[in-house]
Amino acid sequence: MSLRNKAAIVGLGETPTDRLGSKPGEPRKSSAEYLAWAMRLALDDAGLSLKDLNGQGLGVTIPTAYPQPFWPEEVAEILGITPGFLLGGATGGAGAVSLIGGMAAAIHSGLIDIALCIGAAAPFSEHFGGGIQPGDMRDWEIPYGTMGPNSKIAMVMRRYMHEYGATLDHFGKIAVAGRYHASLNPLAYLRKPITIDDYKNSRLVADPVRLLDCVMPANGGRAYILASPERAKTLRKKPIYLKGFGERSNPSYGPRAGSNTLVMGVKDAGKVAMEMAGVKNSDINFLQLYDDYIIVVYLQIEDLEFCAKGDLGFFERTDFTYQGQLPIQTGGGMINVGQPSTAGGMLHIIEAARQLRGEAGERQVTNAKTGLVSGLGVLPYGKNLGCCAVAVLGNEV
Amino acid sequence: MAEVDVGKPLPAITSEAKPFWEAAAQNKLVMQRCRDCQAYVWTPRPACYECGSERLEWQELSGKGQVYSFTVIRQVVGRAASMAFEKEIPYVIAWIDLDEGPRMISNVVGCPVEDVKLGMTVSVVFEQQSPEVWLPKFKPLVS
Repeated sequence: MSLRNKAAIVGLGETPTDRLGSKPGEPRKSSAEYLAWAMRLALDDAGLSLKDLNGQGLGVTIPTAYPQPFWPEEVAEILGITPGFLLGGATGGAGAVSLIGGMAAAIHSGLIDIALCIGAAAPFSEHFGGGIQPGDMRDWEIPYGTMGPNSKIAMVMRRYMHEYGATLDHFGKIAVAGRYHASLNPLAYLRKPITIDDYKNSRLVADPVRLLDCVMPANGGRAYILASPERAKTLRKKPIYLKGFGERSNPSYGPRAGSNTLVMGVKDAGKVAMEMAGVKNSDINFLQLYDDYIIVVYLQIEDLEFCAKGDLGFFERTDFTYQGQLPIQTGGGMINVGQPSTAGGMLHIIEAARQLRGEAGERQVTNAKTGLVSGLGVLPYGKNLGCCAVAVLGNEV
Repeated sequence: MAEVDVGKPLPAITSEAKPFWEAAAQNKLVMQRCRDCQAYVWTPRPACYECGSERLEWQELSGKGQVYSFTVIRQVVGRAASMAFEKEIPYVIAWIDLDEGPRMISNVVGCPVEDVKLGMTVSVVFEQQSPEVWLPKFKPLVS
């Protein structure tokens, strides 16, 4: 089933991010408050009211640290919505992008004609207990003293540097471009421009991963509203159409027991999405790539076939800023705007829609017609990221 | 060998993994292999993840491999369980590509962290963590 032009983004809601609660005595907000805030912004943006959402779609990203298995229903309760189709983002950090595919399919089927996709988390102000969950991490990683995702991504990055000779200059260029864009984004948290040397001199977190390679956790909430093309035409803002969607979870390039960690599932998810959209790489005006680490932004550019694997020259000569040949992370990405757990990935859809509406202010990509967004989630044993979703968006039917 | 350390988080000995831990206690590295498609299967599971067959059998491996990649842990972060590793700092977390093909997460031990290199050949050693758990780790293979 093709989803091309079958659903459109009609509302955007992005709260500012903060780190309240990281110091004792600071005022705090709960996830519920960020959820309500993000929803209100999205409804206002679309020109819809709360009751328009009853009997419609509600898609909810599921935060990693929250032990409530019925979280999507609880979100409906918090927000006062009676959904006719309730979907949880099952793909971790990729959930925000996965939901656009699931909800567009539900809209195309006629089940619903509006969907609110929403997520929030407050990792600094809310602390949930919860031990180590059953699985590979408990049994085969943590007993060796692994320190979360940093340890695994460090191994991916080192392997890449070993195989292809990439240096910190290659990765630093992406970090610098992202921060430059953040400096032009009033909603970004880290806005002071950086240099390649700032990147290189940032603290080693998990050798070779440095502080400025890593996403910044934050409290916040994000939402977008989808509608059928017919409904979209009656609403306040210019519809931004879903052109293509693809998803791959648990990808393996090579034997499952020892796959190539330098190829990511966006390779196949991207191919599916771009074919559905009927676009070539040269048609894409910007990329908003899931960015829990700089190295995965880098790998995705290769895997989406903007260049061959290991083509260092491409990264050396390409201008990744909003005025350049291949703008990426035009709002600064999660690395600079902040990652409220799995709601983080909503940022890339929101920024893409802003660009395609022409609402990106100082960082507007001129004549942007088509953009590509990715989501990534979960770091399985012995592999690169395990859930990959890609959406192509456009502002013309 | 090493002293028993009860402070570190231990794996759960699941029904799928029990033969692995029993062999490890005998200082043998074993892994499931599919009798139908011959794929090695790791981590332990009820069926082959290449062809779906439930005809898996445990085989002893050479215990030799190469460092596919690694990181050096110099700071403990995150969950409380991590704190038990503070006294080990600095230490190496590595992906070991075994000669038979599968990749394991483990530690490279028995040399300074500065000496660990990608492609370095290593062989398995077992370190006892509890009465039942002997963790396979890897040390440089000196030829």
